[in-house]
This record gives sequence, C-alpha cells and structure tokens, in this order.
Amino acid sequence: MGEFFSLERTIDAFPKLLQSLNVTFEIVIVATCLGLIFGFGLAMIRLFRLPVLYQIASVYISFMRGTPIIIQLYVVYYGLPMLSMNLFGLNINSWDKLFFIITAFVLNEIAFIGEIIRGAILAVPVSQTEAGYSVGLTGLQTFVHIILPQAVRAGLPNFTVDLVSLFQGTSLAFLLGAVDIIGRARMIGTNTAHIFDPYVAAAVIFIIISVLLEFAFGKIQKKGDVVYGRIHS
Amino acid sequence: MLELEHVKKSFGKLEVLKDVSLSVNKGDVVVILGPSGSGKTTLLRCINFLERADEGKMTLADQSVNLHSATRSEVHAARIKTAFVFQNYGLFRNKTALGNVLLGLVSARKIPKAKAIKQAKDTLDWVQLQDKYDCYPSQLSGGQQQRVSIARAVALNPDVILFDEPTSALDPELVCETLEVIKQVADTGITMVVVTHELQFAKDVADHVVFMEDGYVVEEGTANEIFSNPKEERTKKFLSRILPPEYSI
Ligand SMILES: Nc1ncnc2c1ncn2[C@@H]1O[C@H](COP(=O)(O)OP(=O)(O)O)[C@@H](O)[C@H]1O
Ligand SMILES: [Mg+2]
Repeated sequence: MGEFFSLERTIDAFPKLLQSLNVTFEIVIVATCLGLIFGFGLAMIRLFRLPVLYQIASVYISFMRGTPIIIQLYVVYYGLPMLSMNLFGLNINSWDKLFFIITAFVLNEIAFIGEIIRGAILAVPVSQTEAGYSVGLTGLQTFVHIILPQAVRAGLPNFTVDLVSLFQGTSLAFLLGAVDIIGRARMIGTNTAHIFDPYVAAAVIFIIISVLLEFAFGKIQKKGDVVYGRIHS
Repeated sequence: MLELEHVKKSFGKLEVLKDVSLSVNKGDVVVILGPSGSGKTTLLRCINFLERADEGKMTLADQSVNLHSATRSEVHAARIKTAFVFQNYGLFRNKTALGNVLLGLVSARKIPKAKAIKQAKDTLDWVQLQDKYDCYPSQLSGGQQQRVSIARAVALNPDVILFDEPTSALDPELVCETLEVIKQVADTGITMVVVTHELQFAKDVADHVVFMEDGYVVEEGTANEIFSNPKEERTKKFLSRILPPEYSI
C-alpha cells in the first residue's frame, strides 16, 4: 500500500479532477442563475405580501433553509419521479442524475437568494423611495433607477458568501452518483487504493476557486464603492 | 395656486392634523412656523402624497383632488406639479449631483436628454456647484448636498416647492449659505411653502406666515403681523421662546 500520502500522486490527481470541474460549475451556474431569477420573484412575493403566495413562500423558505441540503437532494431524487408519475403519468426515473441534483440545488438557491434579495431591498431606506416619488417618478421608475442599484450593492457581500457556500455545497452531489470533483476523487481513491491524495488535491482546488470568487466579488464591491461613493445610512 | 381645505390626518390614535386649511397665492413664499410635533412635516407630506390624509381637499394649479381618495394618476399629477426639499436632503445615493437633478427631468418630465443635461447643469451652476457635477452625495458636505437638492427641485420648474426645515440638519456655519440660496429661489418668483425655525429668514422672505400648533393653524398673517403683533397667546408664547431678545414683544 505504500506511504499514506504522496505529493506525486496528489499532483497526478489534479488533471483528472479538473476534468470534472465542469460538472461542479454546471451545478453552480445553473443554480445561481435560476436562483436569481426565481429568487427575485420570491422576494417580490414576500415584500408585497401577496396573499396566499406569501404563506406558501414562507413555508417554502423555512423548509429550504431549515433542512440540510442532503435531505433536499434525496427528496428531489426520489420524490420528483413519483410526483411526475402521479401528476403527469410521466416516467422520469431514467433521466440523468445530474438533472435531479441540479434541480435540488436550484430549489435551494431560490430560497437563499430570494432572502438575500429581500434583505438587500429592505436595506435601502424608505427616504430614497420618497425622494423618487417627490421628483415625479413612478413606483417602477423609482425601483429601477434608485432602489435596485442600491440593493445590488447592499446584497453583494451576502451573495458572495452564498455563492462560495453553494460551490462547496455541490460536493454533496457525489452522494447521488454525480462525477463532480468529489465524485472523481472518490473514483481515483477507489481505483488506486490511495484514498487520501485525491481528496487533498480536491481540497486545494476548492480553496483556490473559493478564494478567487471572493477576490473577484470583493473587487466588484470595491469598484462600486469608488463609483457610488461610500454609502452610509 | 395651492389651496388646502380641512386636511385631517391621524397615525393610529394620534391626531396629527386636526383640521388644517391653507391658501397660498401664486408667487408667494409661505412660511410655516410651529413647535416640534405640531404636524408641519406631515402637512407637507400630505400635499406630496408621501402620506395619505384621512380627509381633505387640495386645489393645485386649478385642479382639485381629494387628499384621501386620489387615484394613482391624480397622485402622479400632483407630484409632477410639486417638488420637495427634505430635511435630510433626500438625494439619490447612487447618483451624482448631476444625475440627481437629471433623473426627474428625463424620466418623469420626459425632457430630451441633451436639453435636460443643459438645464440640470445650468441649475447646478446657479447654486454654485459648477465644479461638483460628478460628485456623489457622500462626497459632498451637508450644505452642498442641500444645494443639490434645491437645484433638483428648481430644475423641475414645479408650481410649488415644499421645503421641510431645509437647514435644520446643517452645521451652523452652513446654514447661512443655504438660506442665501433659498432666498435666491424665492427671488425667482416661484411659489414656495417653507417650514423653518429661522425667524430672520422668515421675516426677510415670507409673504405670509402661518403658525401651527397641535394640528391646527393657530394664526396667520403677514410676517410683520405675526412677528410684531401676534394676536394669539400661543403664538406669543412660541415666539418668545425662539425669538432673540431684540425682537422681544
Ligand atoms: N409615520 C408616522 N407614524 C406615527 N407617528 C408619526 C408619523 N409621522 C409623524 N408622526 C407623529 O406625528 C406628530 C407630528 O409630526 P410632524 O408632522 O413630523 O411634526 P413637525 O414636523 O411639526 O415636527 C409627531 O408626534 C410624530 O411623532
Ligand atoms: Mg418636521
């Protein structure tokens, strides 16, 4: 079996792991984009307290934020085919595993990003809306020109944290058999009987990408600070 | 020009405006005085529909509207005819000085961009901010911010500008320059309603002074009548508290 850890084997693992990075990115990108779009809708439902929808949204958010992602993954993986069978008579059991994994992360992100958007909009003082009305802007114009740009800035730090945690959360996808970075590390470990090294390599990849993400969004935030000036409430 | 009839407004159990009527002639500067909590801000906010009155009628530039039940388009029409200068400036934090003045002109008044830019710059020049076009509110002093806010209101060329204690958030040394700018606005002949505690300023520019207390208009008249010869006991008491000794009545 040789020694427990070998730098050489770890370095060897990198190119193989990177081949699976696209799976990880696919999950992150789809979940973030759809999370932003539907999360915005969710935030609007909660902000405007739309009857019925508001209650449904609240329960949905409680579930998504109150249960571990692993449970959500299993619920979607086993529950969705059943639901689809019962509602539409459609058998989706044979669909790609990745479809169910991505769906679970999307549903989770909608809740988290929805709450980030809601918080960011609430962080903009009411006086900004009133100033918009006072110069004759409509509610929609005020929202587009004044509230939204300020909310983006207010929400950016939380969004960055969420993005990094989503990226790391995708590491659970291997439990449903996805060959993402972790899934690949597991395969290498099993095949070579050296379990440890590929995980070290995977850890390094996760660290580097997380730091890069934080750095990039930190830059965007700084740029906003220069462009808008400091914002103090 | 602006006529308010029987405006009433409560917040829960608290009656803030009990029955306020007010008439402002075209081109006049009306100063509203009154102790803190007497409902002055609420009155201005009702005119601009930032607050919905419980009752009351407003006639503004020959158009009457119910302050309680105005439709969305009536509210919009009223807001287009008025501009508001807030106590805390109320500048858009994500817009430069120029952007602050421009937004209402382009998006609300639909003035073509090039013309609007010229108009906005002219107005900023007029309040001595020709070198601050591109500054964000956070990069300006309180006095400069309030001048941007005044420029934003003036550029809209509304029928009435409402000022809510425009100098009370300012450092003392900035009050004077800001009052000078407001006087300059008054000199253009635009109709103004100004809530302020600056009595000398009121004496200098007011065509009409209204004293409010406890949700009512207690007394009104010319600046001279109110300052030199107040009839109501409550007006006298209020003035004696805030007038410097040389005005003592
Ligand atoms: N949105 C609000 N909700 C509850 N009470 C309010 C609100 N706005 C103002 N008030 C109360 O109404 C009273 C009058 O306030 P205001 O119009 O600001 O008076 P002024 O401007 O004359 O000082 C105060 O007692 C204030 O606390
Ligand atoms: Mg006030």
